[in-house]
Amino acid sequence: MKKSPQQDKLEALLRSSKLSACGFLGEDKRSLWEIIDADATELERLGRTREDVAARMQELTDQAVPALGDWVKVGKMFQVCVDDNRGMIPCPWPHAVRCLKRITTIHHLKTGKTVRWSDLNIHLIKEHGFFEGKGAPFRIEPKDLVDSIFAS
Amino acid sequence: MTFGGHMIHLVVILFASVFTENILLARFLGMCSFLSVSRQVKTAVGLGFAVVFVMTFTVALDWLAFQYILQPFHLEFFRFILFIIIIAAFVQFVEMVIERYSPALYQTLGIFLPLITVNCAILGASLFMVIRDYNLAEGIAFGLGSGIGWMLAIVAMAGIREKLTTARIPAGLQGPGITLIIAGLMALAFIGFTGVLSGR
Amino acid sequence: MGTIIIAIVIISGVGAFLATLLVFAERVITNYGDVEVDINKGDKKFTVRGGGSLLETLTNQKIFIPSACGGRGTCGYCKVKVLEGAGTLLPTEEPYMDAQERAEGIRLSCQIKVRNKIEIEIPGDLLTIREYSCTCEKIIDYTYDMKQFNLKLVEPTSITYTPGQYIQLLAPAYEGSPEEVYRAYSISSDPANKSGIELIVRRVPDGICTTYLFDHLKEDDTVRVNGPYGKFYLRDTNAPIIFIAGGSGIAPIKCILHHMKNTTIKRKAVFFFGVRTTKDLFLVEEMKQFEKELADFTFIPVVSQPEEGSDWHGATGRVTTVAEEFLKRMPTVSDCEGYLCGSPGMIDSAVKILADLGIPEDKHYYDKFS
Repeated sequence: MKKSPQQDKLEALLRSSKLSACGFLGEDKRSLWEIIDADATELERLGRTREDVAARMQELTDQAVPALGDWVKVGKMFQVCVDDNRGMIPCPWPHAVRCLKRITTIHHLKTGKTVRWSDLNIHLIKEHGFFEGKGAPFRIEPKDLVDSIFAS
Repeated sequence: MTFGGHMIHLVVILFASVFTENILLARFLGMCSFLSVSRQVKTAVGLGFAVVFVMTFTVALDWLAFQYILQPFHLEFFRFILFIIIIAAFVQFVEMVIERYSPALYQTLGIFLPLITVNCAILGASLFMVIRDYNLAEGIAFGLGSGIGWMLAIVAMAGIREKLTTARIPAGLQGPGITLIIAGLMALAFIGFTGVLSGR
Repeated sequence: MGTIIIAIVIISGVGAFLATLLVFAERVITNYGDVEVDINKGDKKFTVRGGGSLLETLTNQKIFIPSACGGRGTCGYCKVKVLEGAGTLLPTEEPYMDAQERAEGIRLSCQIKVRNKIEIEIPGDLLTIREYSCTCEKIIDYTYDMKQFNLKLVEPTSITYTPGQYIQLLAPAYEGSPEEVYRAYSISSDPANKSGIELIVRRVPDGICTTYLFDHLKEDDTVRVNGPYGKFYLRDTNAPIIFIAGGSGIAPIKCILHHMKNTTIKRKAVFFFGVRTTKDLFLVEEMKQFEKELADFTFIPVVSQPEEGSDWHGATGRVTTVAEEFLKRMPTVSDCEGYLCGSPGMIDSAVKILADLGIPEDKHYYDKFS
């Protein structure tokens, strides 16, 4: 199907490795909008909105930031660690958003599951409903994410 | 016909091509970009203007080519090839001109030009113009009207789809599915205009 | 038969006519001729063929404007002040400009084209930036995620920089990353050695450039860098110095320490170096050596989470907390200058602590690489 030029440009940028190694779409052959629509459906099935999810992710990140890279216990269930790297990564969408290269890892003590995200992931989910393509290094499966961060 | 009668006739053609014979919703031409470039109103408006512009001018150019090249040599059956060549060349030319003289316009309108070289609505408008035996003025009115009609349809669709982003749509109908259903409903609505005006 | 020939002639004729018209139009319309570019009101002038983007034109003239997205208009880094000759602001630039930048005539250099005489203003130090071709002489493993890369300059053969500055390194295309990118790294070597530079790099998970450096780069490979950049350098005063660094943030501070040794600067200095575990510690011997050679230098390594059973006897806790405890007991702490290098989170919390200790904000120096 034809795409608008802006859409073409955005998808080309996401597929390229210009901003992030291996790009944002990974091996995913689906178009950007198919990916976003599919994840939106999945998220709805899980009964969460992307704002909820992003807010909770931000909350967990914020709690671990003051520890400067050490593991912090948050609540009874999690160990959270925020790893800061130097430099900024711009959002691929055409607006002036840049995120710190900050990676939050959460370790669920009971299930032993680990999920990680970068600050850019939070922005992409909140503003663009984008969880990245399958096979991309920072792809987050909505189900894994929701299961982990909302567990009590 | 008097001059006033002429003008009224042209206005009738214009309105008929916008509403009763909307090239998109009554003839289903130019569906491809209609389905895929209707996610945002802003983009749809840009593409719509590009279509209005290109359609008006190519109908006029194609009319001239048909009248003065094809008819004298009895080569009417070649109109498909000739029209496509002319449309492609025209679009290329316009793209170059606006890139040079108006970078701002190029960013809003010019980037859509390559996309509509192969839009079937553009070729369709020229072919209808031949079938209906329009003269130059009627052809231009028809081209302009069809362009506006196309733009109207895609902008309306984009508006609906922007609202749809917050709606709950069954998984199997997401994307092109729901868009086609909406296009069908819009076409039904436009049937309401049938018989009000006729451009023929 | 006649119809076929006429048809072929007519269609080819029209096709040829339109093609000629387009070729001709392209010659006339897209030809901007030779155009003059004027930088900083006559500091540097050159004439180029018009039509290219400003960013590309400047890069061809070996003037490096920082850019992360390679001219796609998505990173918003390549801002340049245009005094004249760029036309109106384009829709693709609008999202990146605030009201003040609009008023000053700041533009995205990758989006605007050089069509006519153009006058621009760029910071003077961008003009001294050069591109260097180097060979990777040696790779030293410090810890599991920290390496040092020693680069020998090939062309040009020497570099001059202010100790503390950084360079941008080009990671070429490799498997999994089909496009080349630039990333910034601080210089850690002795500035007296002008024929080479050393970089200390920590692996970023799935980072484009660090993956290249750690997994693909081998000794004797060719590396391209450009620079120097940055405003992180030792200020010329007599104030006592507080260095706070985490991980690879030690790099520019090591460079400054070499410089202090070379020029026999006798200022009082204390260096808090934070890592997570004792396994992450490196360069301790070199720092101990500086303690002996410099007039008044104290090195305080800080481990935040020593492994159980390790024989760590030094300071334990967050580097910023340890620094705060130590500095509180220093009577003249508000006269100090703070030099910070590390992760943005560490810098933020260090800035807060220095401010609480009464050191004014204009005496905090750091480069966030942004």
